[in-house]
Formats: sequence, structure tokens, C-alpha cells
Amino acid sequence: MDKASLAIIPADIPPTKSATLPQISTEQPSILPTAAYLHIPFCQTHCRYCDFAVTIGTEDLIEKYVQYLLQEIAFTPTELQGLETVYFGGGTPSLLSSNQLERLIDALSKRFGISANAEISLEANPGTFDRAKLQAYQRAGINRLSLGVQAFQDHLLRLCGRSHGVAEVYASVKIIQELGFDNFNLDLIFGLPEQSLADWEASLQAVLAIAPTHVSLYDLIIEENTPFGRLYQTDRPPLPTDEETVEMYLKTIEVLGNAGYEHYEIANFARPGYQCKHNRVYWKNQPYYGLGVGATGYVYKQRVERPRNLYEYFTWVETGQFTVTESVTSQEELTDTLLLGLRLTEGIMLESLDKRFGKSLVAQMLHVLQPSIDSGYMQVIHEKMQLIVPQGFLFSNEVFALLT
Amino acid sequence: MTDVPVSRIRNFSIIAHIDHGKSTLADRLLQITGTVSNREMTAQFLDNMDIERERGITIKLQAARMEYTAKDGEMYILNLIDTPGHVDFTYEVSRSLAACEGALLVVDASQGVEAQTLANVYLALENDLEIIPVLNKIDLPGAEPERVIEEIEEMIGLDCTDAIRASAKEGIGILDILESIVQKVPPPKDTVSEPLQALIFDSYYDAYRGVIVYFRVMSGSVRQGDKIRFMVSGKEFEIDELGVLKPNQVRVSELHAGEVGYIAASIRAVQDARVGDTITQVSRPAAQPLAGYQEATPMVFCGLYPTDSDQFEELREALDKLSLNDAALHFEPESSGALGFGFRCGFLGLLHMEVVQERLEREYDLDLVTTAPSVVYRVTKTDGEVLEVQNPADLPSAQVREMIEEPYVRVEAITPQEYVGTLMELCQGRRGVFVDMRYLTPNRTSLVYEVPLAEVITDFFDQLKSRSRGYASMEYKLIGYRPGNLVRLDILLNGEPVDSLSCITHADKAHEIGRLLTGKLKELIPRQQFQVPIQAAIGAKVVARENIAPLRKNVLAKCYGGDITRKKKLLEKQKKGKKRMKNVGSVEVPQEAFMAVLKLES
Repeated sequence: MDKASLAIIPADIPPTKSATLPQISTEQPSILPTAAYLHIPFCQTHCRYCDFAVTIGTEDLIEKYVQYLLQEIAFTPTELQGLETVYFGGGTPSLLSSNQLERLIDALSKRFGISANAEISLEANPGTFDRAKLQAYQRAGINRLSLGVQAFQDHLLRLCGRSHGVAEVYASVKIIQELGFDNFNLDLIFGLPEQSLADWEASLQAVLAIAPTHVSLYDLIIEENTPFGRLYQTDRPPLPTDEETVEMYLKTIEVLGNAGYEHYEIANFARPGYQCKHNRVYWKNQPYYGLGVGATGYVYKQRVERPRNLYEYFTWVETGQFTVTESVTSQEELTDTLLLGLRLTEGIMLESLDKRFGKSLVAQMLHVLQPSIDSGYMQVIHEKMQLIVPQGFLFSNEVFALLT
Repeated sequence: MTDVPVSRIRNFSIIAHIDHGKSTLADRLLQITGTVSNREMTAQFLDNMDIERERGITIKLQAARMEYTAKDGEMYILNLIDTPGHVDFTYEVSRSLAACEGALLVVDASQGVEAQTLANVYLALENDLEIIPVLNKIDLPGAEPERVIEEIEEMIGLDCTDAIRASAKEGIGILDILESIVQKVPPPKDTVSEPLQALIFDSYYDAYRGVIVYFRVMSGSVRQGDKIRFMVSGKEFEIDELGVLKPNQVRVSELHAGEVGYIAASIRAVQDARVGDTITQVSRPAAQPLAGYQEATPMVFCGLYPTDSDQFEELREALDKLSLNDAALHFEPESSGALGFGFRCGFLGLLHMEVVQERLEREYDLDLVTTAPSVVYRVTKTDGEVLEVQNPADLPSAQVREMIEEPYVRVEAITPQEYVGTLMELCQGRRGVFVDMRYLTPNRTSLVYEVPLAEVITDFFDQLKSRSRGYASMEYKLIGYRPGNLVRLDILLNGEPVDSLSCITHADKAHEIGRLLTGKLKELIPRQQFQVPIQAAIGAKVVARENIAPLRKNVLAKCYGGDITRKKKLLEKQKKGKKRMKNVGSVEVPQEAFMAVLKLES
């Protein structure tokens, strides 16, 4: 970490009084985030498509990590503004013991406050929890679960190097439903090697049978430094062709739409009223804390990043300093707002943009985006700009490329 | 500067295969004679171009003057004249050898004699040089000096009774080498009183002093301030600066027969002071120039185009500057329907081409699209007119062609026995005509074929190396033109012919090449917003076709909080990738596609 880019914000002094802080607009009462992401980097096995920095955790290492995470929370700037959303992501957060999770939620509550009706999500992998543990999580405050299912075919799960089979998926779903978690998400991936359209349709039917409130469905991205990256080339066998994965995506929209799910973001579907509040914070380009190894936060209009290596993270925490970097410019903020906001089906209200960035900057951006309107990827109607489903989503990078 | 009689001058060069330790030995000689102090020694002093050092080869030669007090108590001047170590520069090698009376033949004691070494030894023998065999890397566990001595004796017919066993790396045998040079290499002829004849063996362009010319005085003497004439180019200059190379330039007032030195004379470009030309005095000229001068004839041509058409002028300036220093580089503007404005460039060979491209990209920061290399075809038209065609796009149509002739080379490969079969297969697949096979030693064989040059400048060398697991070596020389049943294969993208993708090929192979080439292009050209047909055609007849399916999506499925920075980087990377592509009509074509014909695997 570059020492020059660090500034010290003592944990016990309200940060707005520190001379080292950037200028804060006086219009808003607090610009500190009401959303917090906590990264839990441990996994039982390393999935073959994943390029996240994850570690096969031992009990001792997980406990050490939790203690460091608690320390980081303790020096993160706060105004006791109250968190509206908390998200435990990973890695596999369900590897935390119930006691560890309780301590983390307790620390968040003490440091920032947690609203009474806050959304508190946790990602879990099938086979990593039993009924007792999940019940304890529930008592600790978890009210939304996201289950990493990925596929409903054992051979595909094995190929991905997942630590569970289809049977564990159903066992986990049963526990979740029996405990009365009414808000839960299933994560699935399409475009896997050797996956057929029939496999994918079967997975979609399995999802409908389980009837979760939320479904995330990702088109596989082949990352360079992964076993998949070394084995496979996009659009080449045994990966499905682009034609086939587009077919899978269109099928998804059709099947889930008919079943009453709202397609509210490129890869996300929800029952009315069950959109993920936490993720909407990202897509609305609002501030959030990013806590833990490799996490990125958006605080004081600064994109701050924690070290991606666990031991470097430990060293960083030991310095006890909240990292301060350069704030994004107004131009960058507008670009980010568009890049993220256009992922939502609802699009972006022009009025809100004009207010935030000024009419001329927004008009300039609309001009830059004109080619995507001409191509039929985007539309501006009723004072709102939005991508056209599905073409606009399928070619969203073509639209976004105009902005960078 | 010590003035030394001609009888105590020795001029020599080092003949060695790449990696057999020439540069290390040269460094060691400089160190032991105290020419360069240990402190000044950067590894491999003689190769001072980055690209040379990276590739471990010498492209431009250099020279070094050493003072050595021999066991007889006398002080000798030893001039080491370095030679370039690649087949593309045979002529330059022959001129630097002509400036010497002797040569060290350095052979890796664990490897043996390679084709390139053999070719250069023949050049040395043609120039009547005294050859001193040196077995290098004698300290390595795999060294087999006896076997290698046997090999040298059988292959070259050289008496190796006194072969020196050395290790340049460990400093073994270095004094023996120096003594041997003094005793065996004959002194130059004492022709000091005759008119000046100095042989140019190298020249390079210096931005401040103009061309610096390296030469060996063959007869007479030359002084600072002399008015001189280059006998072939006819250009006259006054010497601003005269000196010797130690190996840094050190000024002197006079050099006489037998000595090696440099001059600066405000010469504008190396073309005015070509290797092989003879320097004489204007006031007392020699009757005739030294024998052996040759014009540089480019053998390999390709189109060089800036990826960004705004860089055309920059490319011209860069080529201008490079050619100040490279008399063999030819270029002239050409325009291509597909690639816009660029240059058709001629090179001595493939390595020369690669070096120039690399220097343009690295030293001049240009992004280039290079078309596949081509040879010069000689085309006789039905009306009797004879054309030289460097660019396949310029080939007259079949109706007006009487005959096409193409250059052939004689390829000699030296290989361990077990790879003879696969190398014969390679030569035959490249339309080679078998000439000779000789068993040099029980396990090494020389294979001679006559092969069309066009087939050699594709991936012939790479194939030779991979088929022989790196053990075979080769060299080639031009033997003339022969008629061939050749056709032009055109490539059409989206229905439009792309001139830069045309190639000339043998009629019998045209269909297969068409099939492979369209297949390769399909792999290399990314999906576009629309479907792109790729066709290979001879005249109006399509011989192969493929389709690039339209782009169906460009989306990043997963994007949450922390991903935004990463996502932006990804978008920028995509954008950069697009910038490096060339717009051919409405199709974005990556640079590699223009070289695709070199990478066909049947």
C-alpha cells in the first residue's frame, strides 16, 4: 500500500471533523453509506471457473480473519447513520460459525446501527450448513439467503469442481424453507462446458418447482487465470456456442417471465417486492462500505480497495487506518451511474441525472450514446433512458463501450 | 597510438554457430588483452543492439583492436573483425572475412558443426584464410572433443591436431588462442607504398557525425583530412575523423596497410558507403576497386501499413531513418484497397524483415500491420513483356500471362540421422527437389534440396527446428529462377476482395491452401455485428468458403459493487483491441490475419 495515499481517520473522532477528509456537500445530512458488504474469502474447494481470491479455510484461520474484520469495522468511519442493507458475500460465508456471524452483526450494529427492517443477506453453499446453524444465523439477524446452486446436473457440478451435488441442493433448500426464510435466492450459471439447452431448461424447471423469491442467472465468463481459462476458449467446444448461450438466456427470460418473475436486471429476476435491496445500491451508484480482504467500497465518493491477499490484508488492518484515495470526478460519477444504472430494466430517470450532474453534461452523454439508440439497443422515452430487452442487454457492452 | 609494422598486425574473425560462444570468447579476448577493463565490461560487448542481445545473435558487425605482447616478447596488434551470424547476411560476412587473414573456427565441444558454420568456413576458405579450430565449452560435462574433432576433420577436411580446447566462460585456453593467432595467422602484405585501397566491411549512421565507415586498409595509407573517393558509388568526401576501434572509437592521425579503423566524413546515408566498396585517395587513386562488391538484392518483400492511418508520415520518417543505417532495406510507398497507404519493403531475408519490424514498433512506437512476405516473381506476358512482381496483388491476370518464374534456393540442412526422414518429408512437401544426401559422420547427415524461396520464407525454418527437436541447422543460397505452375489465390471478405490477403501459390496446392486459409481466417477474425462470408478464389472461381457467424452478444453477466472498476478496465481493453484492428470495408480484421498464410497447418 502506498503510504502517500493514506490518511488517518482516528476511529473515535467523527470523521467529518477531520482536516484530512475531502469536502463534503452540505446539502445532504450524511453521505456515509447505509449499505455494507462483508467479504468472507473461504471455500471448501476452489471452483474451476472462479478467479476470486479464495482460501481453503481452517478453523483457526477463519477465526483470525473474523477478528481482523472486527478490527476493520472498528476503525471504519461512521455517524451511526444506521445500515439499511448488509451483505455477507464470498467465498462461502456459510463457513462462518453462528457465533462468528453473531459477533460480526453485533459489531456492525454497534458501530453503524442497523435499521429495524434492514435486509441482511448471506451467501451459502449447499452442504455447508445444517438446520441448527441456519437457525442460529436467523436468530443473529439474517433474513435473506442466497444459495449457490449453479446447476441441477451432477455431472456439470463435478465439472465445475463444486463441493456439492444435486442432492445437497435439495437438502439445503428444504432446511431454508422449513425455517421459514421467505426471502431467498438461487444462483445458477449457464454456458457451462458440456451443458446443453435441455440441461438448462431442466434447471429452470427445477427452479420453478422450488419457487424462490429471487433468481440470479449468470452467463459463464471464462477468466484467464482459472482452470477453465486454461482449458476452454469462449465459443469453442465443449463450451456451448454463442448462439446456444443466447438461446439459453432468451429461454430464461421466457420461462421466468411466464412464471411471474420480474426481470429487473441483466442477470436478476425477482418476485414483485423481492428485488435485492443491497445490490440495487450498487446499480444506483450509491455509497457502500466494502469490508474484508479484496473488498471494494465506495465511501466519500472514493473507490477504496482492500488488499486482495489475505496476509497483506492482515498487515493493512494492523496499521489501523482507513484508506483514502482520490474522489471520482463528476464525469466519472456520471459514467459509472450510467454503466450501472442501465443494467436495471427500469432504466434511469433523466430528471434525476440532470439534478445530479447538470443538464449539459447529461445532454453530452446522450449524444455519445446516440449510436446505441440507432442500433436499437437503447431508448429514451417518458424522460427515461433504458436498454431494450433483450437486445440491449445482450449487447450492453457495446452500449457501455461508448461511455468509456 | 603505437605505430606497429605490418609484420606485427594480425586480422582475424570468429566463425561460430549461434550459442556456440562467439560473443563470450570475444569478450574474454578483450579482457585478457586489457583492451576493456573488467569494470567496463558489459556482457557481450560486441553485440550492442538490444534486439541482437535479446536474440543472442549478431546482426551488425563490429571490430576491436587489441594490443597483445606475445611469448616472443613482441607487441602485436590483433584486430578482431566480428561477423554477423545469420544466413540473411552472407554478403556482409564474406566482406568482413575478406578483411582478414585468419579466422577462429569456434565449435561447441558438446554440439558439433552446424550448417551455418560450415557455410561460413567455406566463405573463409574462398578468401584463403588461415583457420584455427577452437573447441569451446570444454568444461561442460557433455563435452566430447574427440568426436567433434573427428567431425571437423571429416566435414571440412581441416587438420585438427593443434585444435585448441577452451572454455570462454571459464577462461580456459584463451592465451593459447592469442598465441596461435600470432603464430599461425599470416601478417598482411606490406603494401604501404602503393595507392590507397581500403575495404569497407561495415558502416552505420550516427546522428551527429553522419555515416561512420569501418574499413580495413588493404594497401597504401590514409590520413586525417585526406580527400577520399568511394570507387563504386563515385562519391567523394573529406575525412573529418580517422580512428581505430578499441572497441570504442579512438582518434588517430594515420592508418596504413593492414590496419583496421573507421572514418567519419559527413556522409549522409549508408547507401553512399556500401559494404564492399573501396575507399581510395582522390589525389592518388588506385587503378581499380577491390573485387567482390555486390549490390544488396532484397529477396523477401512485404507490405508495412500503420494500423492507424494517421501514422503514415511517421512510418515514412522511421523507414527513412532506419535506411540511413541499413543499405539493404528497400521501401517504396504503395496503397492497398484494404489497408490504405503504406510501404512495400524489401529485405535480405526473414530475419532482416523481423528485425526491421521490431525496431519500427519498439524504437519508433508504431503499430503496424504486416502482410505475409512474398518473393519476387518474374512474369512473362503474352506480349513478351517481362515484369518483376513483388506484390501478389500486382500479378497480371491469367489471360495475359505466358509464364511465371520464381526464385529457387539451395537448402543445406545438417541433422542427426534420426530426423532425416521427417526433414525429407518437409522438403518434399515444400516442392523441394532432392539433390544430395551425405553421411558426414556416423550420426550426422547433410541433406541438400532445391526449394522455391517462397516455400522457405513461410515457416520452413520453424518446421525444421521443431521436427528435429532443435538439432538440425540449415542455410540457403539463391540459385536462380525457374518456371512454375503458379496461380494467385484471392481472399474475399464479405464479398470484397482483400488485396493484402492475396498470395501466389502452386496450382496443385491452391485448393488446400484456400481451405486452410479460410479456416484460419475464420478463427482469427472475431465475430462482427453481421455475418461475414470468407471466400478463397482463383480468378472468378471460388475454391473454398467459410462463414463468420454474426456477433450474438457482448455482455458482462455479473456486475456488482466492486466490479465497476474492473468492468471499466475490461471495456477499455476491448476498445484497445478494436483500435489495433484494421477496418477492411466494414469488417474489423486483426493484425494476425494478414500473416495467417504463414500459420497454416495441414
